[in-house]
Amino acid sequence: MTVEQQDCVALDQFPVGMRVLAVDDDQTCLRILESLLHRCQYHVTTTNQAQKALELLRENKNKFDLVISDVDMPDMDGFKLLELVGLEMDLPVIMLSAHSDPKYVMKGVTHGACDYLLKPVRIEELKNIWQHVVRKNRGSNNGDKKDGSGNEGVANSDQNNGRANRKRKDQYNEDEDEERDDNDDPSSQKKPRVVWTVELHKKFVAAVNQLGFEKAMPKKILDLMNVEKLTRENVASHLQKFRLYLKRISGNQQAIMANSDLHFLQMSNGLDGFHHRPIPVGTGQFHGGAAAAGMRPFPPNGILGRLNTPSGMSGVRNLSSSPSSGMFLQNPTDLGKFHHVSSLPLNHIDGGNILQGLPMPLEFDQLQTNNNKSIIAGNSMAFPSFPTQQQSSLPNNNNHLVLEGHPQAPPSAFPGHQINKRLEHWSNAVSSSSSTLPPPGQNSNSLISHQFDASSSSYSIPFCDSTIPLNPALDHTNPRAFYRATDMDSSANVQPGVYYDSLQMRKSGNYGPTTDAMLSSNNPKEGFTVGQQKLQSGFMGGEAGSLDDIVNSTMKQEQSQGDLSEGDLGYGGFSSLRTCI
Amino acid sequence: MDALVAQLQMQYRNYTVSLYQQGFLDDQFTELKKLQDDASPDFVAEVLSLFFEDCVKLIGNMARALDQTGTVDFSQVGASVHQLKGSSSSVGAKRVKGLCVTFKEYCEANNYEGCVRCLQQVDIEYKALQTKLQDMFNLEKQIIQAGGKVPQVDIN
Repeated sequence: MTVEQQDCVALDQFPVGMRVLAVDDDQTCLRILESLLHRCQYHVTTTNQAQKALELLRENKNKFDLVISDVDMPDMDGFKLLELVGLEMDLPVIMLSAHSDPKYVMKGVTHGACDYLLKPVRIEELKNIWQHVVRKNRGSNNGDKKDGSGNEGVANSDQNNGRANRKRKDQYNEDEDEERDDNDDPSSQKKPRVVWTVELHKKFVAAVNQLGFEKAMPKKILDLMNVEKLTRENVASHLQKFRLYLKRISGNQQAIMANSDLHFLQMSNGLDGFHHRPIPVGTGQFHGGAAAAGMRPFPPNGILGRLNTPSGMSGVRNLSSSPSSGMFLQNPTDLGKFHHVSSLPLNHIDGGNILQGLPMPLEFDQLQTNNNKSIIAGNSMAFPSFPTQQQSSLPNNNNHLVLEGHPQAPPSAFPGHQINKRLEHWSNAVSSSSSTLPPPGQNSNSLISHQFDASSSSYSIPFCDSTIPLNPALDHTNPRAFYRATDMDSSANVQPGVYYDSLQMRKSGNYGPTTDAMLSSNNPKEGFTVGQQKLQSGFMGGEAGSLDDIVNSTMKQEQSQGDLSEGDLGYGGFSSLRTCI
Repeated sequence: MDALVAQLQMQYRNYTVSLYQQGFLDDQFTELKKLQDDASPDFVAEVLSLFFEDCVKLIGNMARALDQTGTVDFSQVGASVHQLKGSSSSVGAKRVKGLCVTFKEYCEANNYEGCVRCLQQVDIEYKALQTKLQDMFNLEKQIIQAGGKVPQVDIN
């Protein structure tokens, strides 16, 4: 059966044939899940490694409609995978876990999961998961995509045809790019790649904040930044990426954020707002440090206003436009951006002290109550004008580090985890995107175990927690790691990347030797083979058929992305990320 | 022949029901059986073997973690317990799962003796279940070899 035929059939029969990627390190559960999904007449690919899953997804984003992932996995935390998938591929992700603890469910929500299922999974629960595909596509495609683009000859105007929409995903992405791109300039003119270093990024963030996120226009930002050889296009693409990232990340929280609008507005005078708000140092109050840190740079206007926007992703749009310069500060790369961004909204959501019981407001709360040094420090980085407190203590580069370090303060592990995890996730994402990153090896495990042993937190406090004592230390370790991670080109990445990965592993509750054993025992081929076979049988044809679509859309994307990528990252890692996008 | 088949089938039914009644299996196992069909005739057996493999591995992890001289990393133990809980609940291994719940509590309380006890019990339980299920599968084979069909057993 040719791909087209297959697709046509699938499209016609959606949700039958919906392509699901199932990820679970537990082979028993994976087998059962696979069988259940088959029973629901979905097309299933399985893998027992999150890393493998990412590879599969990155290979071709259009290969899958939905991802179901376990939470506790040795090679990568399920939440991190969730974030990455949501960010890079914008696919609906369903979390699966034996943890019924509400905080995990909440974490799933804040990380962008469409649903959270408890093990043992019943077939009834799986029968309706296709709704998430439809929902996501409807949210994304504001209107015109609903009828499949006829590429497959299936003019399916059924709105519920998520498959069609999903297939048009690349078109959607393309459209999104075009919509978002201020300088819609798909010129084929090659511009020299701009590497968004931390310093550059800081300037960018400072400029954006100075202008106000809503009002930040590339030209003005460029002027404020006053950097030689930086073009407006570079800035524009960087800004666009940031917005997109915010959008994706915040999409799920728009409802929650709605309430925080007020706070933002109150705070609104951008930086000033931060000044006035003492930031509590994470005393259990709220994952505060991290959240606060994340929040910090948040110009009240932008983000809140954005948050208000309804409807998931589209709502997020607004959000994305509001910049959190702090977010940027943390990491100059796109991935870094994501780091920050994700820490921003996600953190709040975690939390404990929600202003109005909603996670979103947390951030504001945090800002208000937290004397988060790190936040300020971060702020100082982002906003040179910000006074004080931590400014001196924080080195420029450590914005993000500050965030990470901060969670030490909060007693409540959860929020801190979130933030740290997020950051860690991103750093891992960054490092994982790096092609130079080797699989975590023994040494990295030992590295981790050292660190972890030292750490008092038992679960998932990322390395930053254990190794980085608040601000000062951050400089040394994290930034480097981050920089390395983001600095895709350098082979020095390997180490930090590995480090990150290891941490990540540890984070997911894996345990030195066990992890190794598990890793080695989980012959990559095992998990992969299953998936691979399935892929091959299921998708080979598909690839051929959809290639045309992909090529076409990719070409268009390339053009519009040309600006983006050039403007943005010179990182090899980024390009791999970009490819996925 | 038919008499033999009938007899075997009855034996099989009784045996299966007893497993449920004794708490070895629960509804999830029933669900698993529903997933077995002509396309995957050995589904249940496959899944259960995977499960028992997991048991061996996880119990090994737990034992190693508990065996450390010096400080025991209970979170490490707990993580393995958690995973075992997940898989046991997915296959319907009721007793094993119940033990995991208790085990987990001991881990969280950093109760070494409690953990060791639970570990031993888990080991016993999964092996007992393995034996029981093996007997059940053998009965199934006998029925098929005798030319009969394995009956659907209604538990309730």
